[in-house]
Amino acid sequence: MAPSVTYSEPELVLLLKQQSQEAFNYLYKNYAGVLYSVIKKTISDDQTAQDVLQEVFVKIWNNIGQFNADKGRIYTWMINIARNASIDKLRSKGEIMKAKIQSAEDAVYNIQSGFKTEQKIDTIGLKDAVQGLKPEYQAIVDLAYFKGFTLEEVAKTLEIPLGTVKTRMRHAIQLLRKHYSN
Amino acid sequence: MDIKAYIESGILEAYVLGALSEAERASVEADIVLYPELRQEVEAIEAAMESYAATTPIEPPAHLQEQIWNAIQVQQRANNDGMHDGVPPMQQPVAEATPKVIALEAPAEQAPKMSWQRAAVWAAVAVSVLTNFMLLSQRNKINDEKAAMVARMDSMQAQQTQMLAKVEAYEKGRNMLADTGMKTVVMRSAQPGKDMTGMVFWSKGTGETYLTIHHMPMPEKGKQYQLWVIQDGKPVSMGVISNDMVANAGTMLKVPMQVQSGQAFAISLEKEGGNPTPTQVMIVGAI
Repeated sequence: MAPSVTYSEPELVLLLKQQSQEAFNYLYKNYAGVLYSVIKKTISDDQTAQDVLQEVFVKIWNNIGQFNADKGRIYTWMINIARNASIDKLRSKGEIMKAKIQSAEDAVYNIQSGFKTEQKIDTIGLKDAVQGLKPEYQAIVDLAYFKGFTLEEVAKTLEIPLGTVKTRMRHAIQLLRKHYSN
Repeated sequence: MDIKAYIESGILEAYVLGALSEAERASVEADIVLYPELRQEVEAIEAAMESYAATTPIEPPAHLQEQIWNAIQVQQRANNDGMHDGVPPMQQPVAEATPKVIALEAPAEQAPKMSWQRAAVWAAVAVSVLTNFMLLSQRNKINDEKAAMVARMDSMQAQQTQMLAKVEAYEKGRNMLADTGMKTVVMRSAQPGKDMTGMVFWSKGTGETYLTIHHMPMPEKGKQYQLWVIQDGKPVSMGVISNDMVANAGTMLKVPMQVQSGQAFAISLEKEGGNPTPTQVMIVGAI
């Protein structure tokens, strides 16, 4: 590995504002993997996902001047850019219906298989199951976070009441919070 | 407002997940500004979702880094000269080889009619076969030689590329030294009895900085070196130095962060990931 230097969040913002190639290389080296995996959870096609990754980097690059640290972390900001760009692409490609149907089928299938004592979770292509997160909970989180479903759409897709979607969503995220805090 | 009930309703989770309608989203955003407890909760949810999203980073294909950087530059150029049409420079047209047409001459000889000529034909065929055989073996030999030559050329080309890279590196070093704007700052040990040193090459004009370190001991577990520039008496972090660099003493690193002004450079020993201000200064040098 080449010798390198690492930066904290505020330093990273300063670095990006310099707009140098070194700044880009640093950004790419440290964040391309994470951003790409976020995109891939929304878009399965490799080529499309790579196009979106390029779009995301260009957006980060052009909008770093508008980033406001008071409103949140730059990491959150970048991940949200990646999510929004992916979901936009999904919609613009007219693939959203296809994706929704596909996701719904997967989700339903997974919920069913989840009931059958099976611990193997692969909701909408997510190989990395979170321990202790039941499939029907993970489906709700994934459909909303990665596929851009609204609460109503999640409720309709999974055929569960809106109130249940909300409480399960909260419960699922509480489990995630607990899981990642230790 | 009952903050507790608000949080327990699950609306903040739906907000972070992007599952709210436009109107609901706007109302949550307004509430967050008003109540810091809500913001805290939102940040905790965001952090959990980020960890969840980033569980297994997938490395995109290697060529993408260069492709994206090129795209950024093309776009920046288009932005810079907005007056011109923003058409990115096209590739140079490949010089087209003019098609060469060689007429096939077909000196199809008429078959000899007279029988006495047969012997002559057979003799000619025999000579031809023999000649062909000789030519073929010669061609094989030439092909072998050609292959050997191609291999030699390849290795020479590889050597040349290596040398060019070396020359470029030397040239860069020479330009750096010749650049009157480039300052060499020697950092010396601030810890008695240790001969740690480091050098920063700093170009005031461009803000570029290069760093080398020598005789710096490998930091113990959980610690890392951090590079600082002292600006108006205040230390400003230039980043945390990875331990690879410590292991490869003498390698020159271009520091990603640019520096516009400063009175001194320093390296300190900090906890892993760095500190906002230096705690244990190891080496320091005034500009």
